[in-house]
Amino acid sequence: MDDLTFRKTVLAEPFTTNSDVIEAAKNDPNKLAFWNEIKAMETELQAAMNIPVPDTLAERLILRQSISEHKKEYKRRPWYLALAASVLLASVLSVSMIFTGDSKFTNDVYAHAEHVEYELMKSKKVDLDAINNKLASFNGQVNGDIGEVLSANYCYLDKIKSLHMIIRGEHGLTSLFVVPDAITQGMSSSFSNGIFEGASFLLESAKIIVVGENKSDVQELEHLAKSALLFSA
Amino acid sequence: MYVTEASFSSLFALFRLHLTTCKKIFVIMRNKSEQASVLSDMNNKQTRYEALVKALHADIYRYAVWLIKDKSIAEDVVQETFLRAWKSLDSLKDEGAAKAWLITILRRENARRFERKQFDTVDIDDVSVEDPVAHSEENIHQREIRKAISSLSEEYREPLTLQIIMGFSGDEIAEQLGLNKNTVMTRLFRARNQLKEILTSQITFGEQING
Repeated sequence: MDDLTFRKTVLAEPFTTNSDVIEAAKNDPNKLAFWNEIKAMETELQAAMNIPVPDTLAERLILRQSISEHKKEYKRRPWYLALAASVLLASVLSVSMIFTGDSKFTNDVYAHAEHVEYELMKSKKVDLDAINNKLASFNGQVNGDIGEVLSANYCYLDKIKSLHMIIRGEHGLTSLFVVPDAITQGMSSSFSNGIFEGASFLLESAKIIVVGENKSDVQELEHLAKSALLFSA
Repeated sequence: MYVTEASFSSLFALFRLHLTTCKKIFVIMRNKSEQASVLSDMNNKQTRYEALVKALHADIYRYAVWLIKDKSIAEDVVQETFLRAWKSLDSLKDEGAAKAWLITILRRENARRFERKQFDTVDIDDVSVEDPVAHSEENIHQREIRKAISSLSEEYREPLTLQIIMGFSGDEIAEQLGLNKNTVMTRLFRARNQLKEILTSQITFGEQING
């Protein structure tokens, strides 16, 4: 091995195990001396490059990782919660809208139906003309037999002006309300609270609500109203 | 009144049903997927990560200091390197390749630092060679060597650091730096040749002064 190759090899790799290098060093004291010099320098280089590492570096690396992981967890968790919360919120909103939409109105209907006797006490006898006069504000008129009307008065159902007619049924008193249709959209066609039975239906522009304690009276009045009450659009 | 009660009770029933369902789904998802499989995976990953940090942080830090020539920037880069390593720890299949893998990440992180902002690097002889130990004669000699190493250009200093600090072979350095092995061996030879010249001249200079 020539001198230049030998020097290049040991300088590139001082602790080489190359057999040619070992052989060349054995046969040439100058080469061996040079190699030993480089090995000594290499040991010094290793010591010099082996700079001190901050004592707590490993702990800080682990800490930093766990903090970042914790942040990720924290960010990740609300994904489920957010979904559940939004679904809950949406359902609460929609459910409450459905229920509160006409519950106040329906409550007022029951309240008025409960007080029919009181209503009768204060009201005067009613004739067909008076009924037709009042129905006129809803563009309606009686055109046929609607039964024995005991009273016909304006009243307010959830701030909406309506006509409350009390009609004698086979088993008791039954109420019939005439309301503008636009207000009561979404009201179910039949309803009950355990005491009163009710039905609502549309006659052209007017919504008719029939409420009474007896279901067959309600059905009968519904039938009569559909045939005897006329409304123009 | 009844309707209100009925609607409220059904509202509450819906609420409760919904809450229970949500809670169940949440608990099932957390219990099953997170606790059972993910947590054991996480523990496993955590153990691997901590082992990796303990085994290699010192060498990686030293390599970074020699590459960057600034201790505090080097430490930041090491922090970023290990954080990135944690995120992609699953891609490290062979623990034997961990060193090279971390070096690759570190070099990329260091390059990103230059993309973000051109930092002023501080000379290593001013910052990183600071030694808390008293300046004994041996320490002074080591300071001279460190100065000499830091004066090497990066193309010589980096393969030398990989060889001395990381214990990489010529082939490994070549792969890491994207060079062929002959180029690497030439650079290593030139690096030591330059160091030898610097250190010899210093000794001669010192002797002359002493003499």
